[in-house]
Amino acid sequence: MTSVVALYNIKGGVGKTSAAVNLAWTAAEEGARVLLWDLDPQGAATYLLRIKPKVRGGGAKLVRGRSDPATLLKGSDHPRLDLLPADFSYRNLDLALDATKRPTEGLGRVLAPIVGDYDYVFLDCSPAISLASESVFLAADTLLVPLIPTPLSLRAYDQLRGFVADEVAKPRPQILAFLSMVDGRKALHRNVAEELGADDSVLRSTIHAASDVERMGSQRRALAQFAPRGRAAQAYGTLWIELRGRVTGWRTTAPPARARGRSRPGPA
Amino acid sequence: MLAVDALRTQLLLPAGVDASGAADRLAAHVAVVTQRAHRTDRTFWDTFDGRLHAAGLALADTGNRIALIDAATGAERAAGDHVRSLRRLALVDLPEGGLRELLAPVVEMRVMTPIVRVRSRRLPVNILDELGKIVVRLQAEEPTAVAGQDVKVALRSRLNVAGVLGYAAEYNRVLELLAAELDLRPVSQPVHDEAVEAIGGVPGGTSSKLRVALSPEARADVAAVTVLRRLLEIIEVNLPGALADVDSEYLHDMRVAVRRSRALQRELRGVFPPEPLRVFRDGFRELQVLTGPTRDLDVQLLEFADLAATLPSETAPDVAPLRELLELRLAAERAKMAKGLRSERTRALLDNWGDFLDALVASPEDDRPDAARPVAEVAGERIDKVYRQMVKMGSAIGPDTPHEALHDLRKKGKELRYLLEFFAPLYPSEIVKPMVATLKGLQDVLGRFQDREVQADALRALGDEIAALDGGAAALMAMGVLVQHLAAEQEQARAQFDERFERFAAKAQRKLVKQTFG
Repeated sequence: MTSVVALYNIKGGVGKTSAAVNLAWTAAEEGARVLLWDLDPQGAATYLLRIKPKVRGGGAKLVRGRSDPATLLKGSDHPRLDLLPADFSYRNLDLALDATKRPTEGLGRVLAPIVGDYDYVFLDCSPAISLASESVFLAADTLLVPLIPTPLSLRAYDQLRGFVADEVAKPRPQILAFLSMVDGRKALHRNVAEELGADDSVLRSTIHAASDVERMGSQRRALAQFAPRGRAAQAYGTLWIELRGRVTGWRTTAPPARARGRSRPGPA
Repeated sequence: MLAVDALRTQLLLPAGVDASGAADRLAAHVAVVTQRAHRTDRTFWDTFDGRLHAAGLALADTGNRIALIDAATGAERAAGDHVRSLRRLALVDLPEGGLRELLAPVVEMRVMTPIVRVRSRRLPVNILDELGKIVVRLQAEEPTAVAGQDVKVALRSRLNVAGVLGYAAEYNRVLELLAAELDLRPVSQPVHDEAVEAIGGVPGGTSSKLRVALSPEARADVAAVTVLRRLLEIIEVNLPGALADVDSEYLHDMRVAVRRSRALQRELRGVFPPEPLRVFRDGFRELQVLTGPTRDLDVQLLEFADLAATLPSETAPDVAPLRELLELRLAAERAKMAKGLRSERTRALLDNWGDFLDALVASPEDDRPDAARPVAEVAGERIDKVYRQMVKMGSAIGPDTPHEALHDLRKKGKELRYLLEFFAPLYPSEIVKPMVATLKGLQDVLGRFQDREVQADALRALGDEIAALDGGAAALMAMGVLVQHLAAEQEQARAQFDERFERFAAKAQRKLVKQTFG
């Protein structure tokens, strides 16, 4: 059974893409078949995997069911990790989704024919709440939120939880968070992290701000490829093990959200 | 098949060209990165009759990981952790999930054993695009077949070419370059098949199928010896597995070969001298009797889960004592059978039978009236005769006929089926095919009719013993439900008899049989 994990935050620059690439790589390294869908028009995950940010026919054709997603997949440098690349046209994904019959089911419809080939699907989402992110909430089993330990970040996390609880139809994705880009020298970070200790939705594993993570941009590789023994790579490994336990546990009790995407009538 | 599995080829590296040599030649045209060489040590598994081989699959075990791969391309279908060191591998020994699910319909009730071990030195070479991304993966493999401590045979080096999803053009370009620069040719067989051959084996396992070619003009005794020699071979190759209880099918295939031999001894009796034949017929009947109880219990246990599944779910666990009792009985019967099969008497029977067959054709023909006649003529007479006997027996069966009459008809049907199996290629297929089809339809009904009765009788016979066990009362009640279910199925089979027999004995078919064989 496949688990769909969406890396999401209303705010940008929180370590979403680094987490998506490193978690996907770690899962593949462990033996799972993994798909990473880079939904961010900036295409950072696509860039890190050295793949051209180009989807034939663009995002509009994809969400309208006019492109076969299986023909758009690109294998990464890891034999078990594939990428559905970013495309600059994803900046207009809301418009493209809006032109379909059930816009919030659009991303689930794209995934439906290929999801069965994978054990885990990671979605690297663009920030902000939009039609595209609502579609992510329906397609994903888990929203994984990278959280910089600041009050503003916590506020955004609360807003997200409120939005999903109020606006997203059941079965809702579970929401998990992890502390990202933590700077242990900052008292504020330490205090907020302590405050979050009691929140069961926040995973114990944390990702510290690290130069290795910054170097991913120049290396254009996952951490496991160029600094496998570094603290940062080890931290993502620990995060993956914790996440894997939570994802599987949740899936045994809740039906996959994407099942609703399959009810869509076929093309005329 | 995944799209990326289509992007896989295995090529033979010519003598004198090693992996780095191949990489150097490519480097003039594309960006190449050579990785560190490593070694693999894989044991390949298959069933005795090569079911994985026949399905185009291979099961490779590295000691801690076991993978089901596509034999032609090397693409992995499923994999799992494998930590136990075993000499036999049943489905239940494999990790649950995709691996077991994919293998279940292929191996069914059979157990896998190691067929060959292959040690390889591998050198991975990646082809990169202008972004420095891997677009094609090459892996040069220098394999060695290993058997025991001393036997090591170097196999031909090969180059495994694997494309990357979404990079088909680059894959095709590399294949063209390899063909142009190094004149590499696709391999003709997977590495484990080559390894099996190298250590003196035959890829594809040991078949228990008849597979003999006969000519219609051949002497009947020559044809009989050809078939019976093959049947003796099947008995001999399955005997060790039946004794070692690797799985139930060794004994089954051995018994089928014994039964077929007996049918031929009976039906072509005119090609044998009567007195030695009588001795061998007695010996083969003993062999059949000796192995019968074990096979019956094997069948009961193989079908146990299906039969128990007919019970309501709350009653199903009640039959557990029955299963335990059957297993105990099987162990006892198997010990008795093994003693008999290992005896000098059995060894002498099979050896003497082989010697007898070898000497048969050259022996005097005074008391072998059919020996020199063309086999098509002799077998045709028998097919016609047995068919007519069946038509007569079946026509006499009415609603109140005792069960034994149907059982006897089934026995006769087996005789006809074997005759057709041995000799069908000697006659026009447009005659034989419909005859085989209608016979199969009839035998299916008669088989179910008798099997259900045998199963029900076997359950009834265990009643007293079960009742005396802990939980025996509940088991007995559940068995009552099973017996009822079996009786209902037997009734269903009986209801289908008339229609199946009519087809088998249709006037048109009778006429054709007479014209062809009579």
